Amino acid sequence: MIPLSFYLGLSALLFSIGLFGIMYHKSGIRLIMCIELMLNSANLNLVAFSSYTDTLDGQVFALFSIALAAAEAAIGFAIFMAIYKMHEKINLDELNLLRW
Amino acid sequence: MALENLAFLIPVLPALAFVITFFFGKKMPSGGAIIPILSIAASFIISLLITLGLLANPEEVVSQSIPWFAMLNLGVLIDPLAAVMLTMVSFVSLLIHIYAVGYMAHDPAKPRYFAETSLFTAAMLALILSDNIIQLFVSWELVGLCSYLLIGFWFEKPSAAAAAKKAFLTTRVGDVMFLTGIIVLTTDLLKLAGGIPEGGYLLRFNEIFSYIPQLSALEANLFGLKVSHLTIITLLFFGGAVGKSGQFPLHVWLPDAMEGPTTVSALIHAATMVTAGVYLVARTFPMFLAAPDSLLVVAYVGGFTALFAATMGIVMNDIKRVLAFSTISQLGYMMLGLGVGAAIGMEAVGISLFHLVNHAFFKALLFLCAGSVIHAVGTHDMRELGGVAKVMPITAITMTAAALALAGIGIPGTSIGTSGFFSKDAIIESAYLFGEHSGNWLPYGFSIAAALLTSVYIFRLIFMTFTGKPRSNYGGHESPASMTVPLAILAVFALVFGGLTQTGFMQFLEETFSNNFVNLDLGRLAVLGGYELVQSASAEPTFILWLPILVALIGFGISFVLYYLKAVDLGVLASEKNPIYKLLYRRYYQHEIFTEFFSIGIVYGVVAFLAQLVDVLIDSIVESISIVTVAAGEALKRLQTGVVQTYAAVVVAGVSLLIILIKLITEVL
Repeated sequence: MIPLSFYLGLSALLFSIGLFGIMYHKSGIRLIMCIELMLNSANLNLVAFSSYTDTLDGQVFALFSIALAAAEAAIGFAIFMAIYKMHEKINLDELNLLRW
Repeated sequence: MALENLAFLIPVLPALAFVITFFFGKKMPSGGAIIPILSIAASFIISLLITLGLLANPEEVVSQSIPWFAMLNLGVLIDPLAAVMLTMVSFVSLLIHIYAVGYMAHDPAKPRYFAETSLFTAAMLALILSDNIIQLFVSWELVGLCSYLLIGFWFEKPSAAAAAKKAFLTTRVGDVMFLTGIIVLTTDLLKLAGGIPEGGYLLRFNEIFSYIPQLSALEANLFGLKVSHLTIITLLFFGGAVGKSGQFPLHVWLPDAMEGPTTVSALIHAATMVTAGVYLVARTFPMFLAAPDSLLVVAYVGGFTALFAATMGIVMNDIKRVLAFSTISQLGYMMLGLGVGAAIGMEAVGISLFHLVNHAFFKALLFLCAGSVIHAVGTHDMRELGGVAKVMPITAITMTAAALALAGIGIPGTSIGTSGFFSKDAIIESAYLFGEHSGNWLPYGFSIAAALLTSVYIFRLIFMTFTGKPRSNYGGHESPASMTVPLAILAVFALVFGGLTQTGFMQFLEETFSNNFVNLDLGRLAVLGGYELVQSASAEPTFILWLPILVALIGFGISFVLYYLKAVDLGVLASEKNPIYKLLYRRYYQHEIFTEFFSIGIVYGVVAFLAQLVDVLIDSIVESISIVTVAAGEALKRLQTGVVQTYAAVVVAGVSLLIILIKLITEVL
């Protein structure tokens, strides 16, 4: 059996990649993809703990989390579609109309 | 009894008439005048019936009340004092309303006029039958408001607007004093009663009166003098009365108040406004009687005002202005009549109210006659009139009757005489008694001198207006019947009312404070106030009895010689070259002193300076706060870059820091 720390290590790696992506990339699409990555790292954590403790709670939470991620992605993409229609691109640096 | 349950309708009906006339008057004939007339007539009938019932049984007063909130109540109290006032006010107001139908016939704003006079009457009636001091104060303010609206009725005229403002502000000085008095009284009563009593209304007059001995015992230190709280309260009340009743030095609004229609002047001067102050003092008379020195102040102020106003009355050329000064002077007599209560006790309320009612009749008549003359001839200035008797015989006769009543013509010792004779002589004789008893002769001297001047100025007015040859070209005709009939009715009252009722009236009013509502031992209260009442009135010397009528006849003689026969040419004497004439004609420079120097110069100056101070001091503090805030905002707004990544980086850094912190803390602990 693969030890729990391996799963947690992988999850932490995925999360860090996602976080780096959010802070580094300017494109909105990539932003959402990175958020998905971070959410899925959390899902991996939940499932790993669930399997390790032999309960189903974690897996149920993971299902919730996936549904939530889908909803969030749908809204996020809809917003970016609207922005794209106005600006012809989705550059987060330039979306600063309400700055000061 | 069913009639008692209708008592609350007395002020409510005219108030309803105000609403109806105000909103629907335009669609009715003659501006909806019929509604106020009918409602005031109904009020008059109810008042009259209650008064008649009370006459038969003065012990059983009408007294009803319902809770309002906390310790306050709304109530109706009709004791002899209120009954007399109610009947007089509703009657005089009714006649004035009928007269106004003719007088205001050509005015486009009739609905507003009738609505406001109706509210005016309602407020005064509500004031009279209040059974607690708060309700009285509320109506008192309402009367003030209506007077403001009506004096400024022709508000397009700048002088009318200014007069309305002046009246409002001047009476406000008194109102503030009255309110202060109520506040002091309430605080003291709450202290004495130990909080709000269950089921009792602390500010009802019977409750207030029952606390008089304790109130009188409370002492305050004012400028090193020990003063009874009761003296403070009563003097503050008197301050309110001074403002409302045009006593010196707050009388300045009254002569200007004739900027409104003449009928409004008649209402203000006779029925609804200026008598409120006298009524307030009469209503709280037991408190005045138990308050050391208060009645002396009332007597001196009243006496002085009577003379002071009369001296100005003799030189005025405007017919309404003469009458206005005459009102101030007569109100001075009424206050003097109350003040001499220091010597004659409860009788003072009787004679003062007797004069008030008689004065209401003949003063309303004088104003309505003046209005009739002005309506027909179109000028107020007596120098342009003359010989009006030929064109307006009814007005001339009725006005002469009123003048006789004002001058107080009659034969002492009999019941022959005009109304004013009985009441004014009673006051002057009481003032004599007061002087003899307490050594305060000054009020008596004032009242005799004022009686002489009264006679001079009123007959001067009669002779200048009605006799001789016209001094200018005026058309003119007798007024219509709706105007002359009220004149005739009032003239009858001015001539015979006093003679018919003289003894009964005063006895009736002396019962005011001993009935099922309040039962006070006024003799004991007078001891508290330190007044020695005259026990057995010794008959005054015959000379004293005849002196008032003598000076009135002398006054008539002077006017007859100067203004009818024109035997002496007044030329230089009656011009601005004569310093005394100039002083009087300029009204003792009151406008210059009170208005321009005191009000505009000092009060306005101080207020403007303080406003400036507020601007500089307070505003600079407020402004510096705002400047700091704005500058901080300018500096800190750079943090909001608007780039999502920056925010994400800050969040991550924050969370990381937090985790490290928690880790550190848990390690240390």
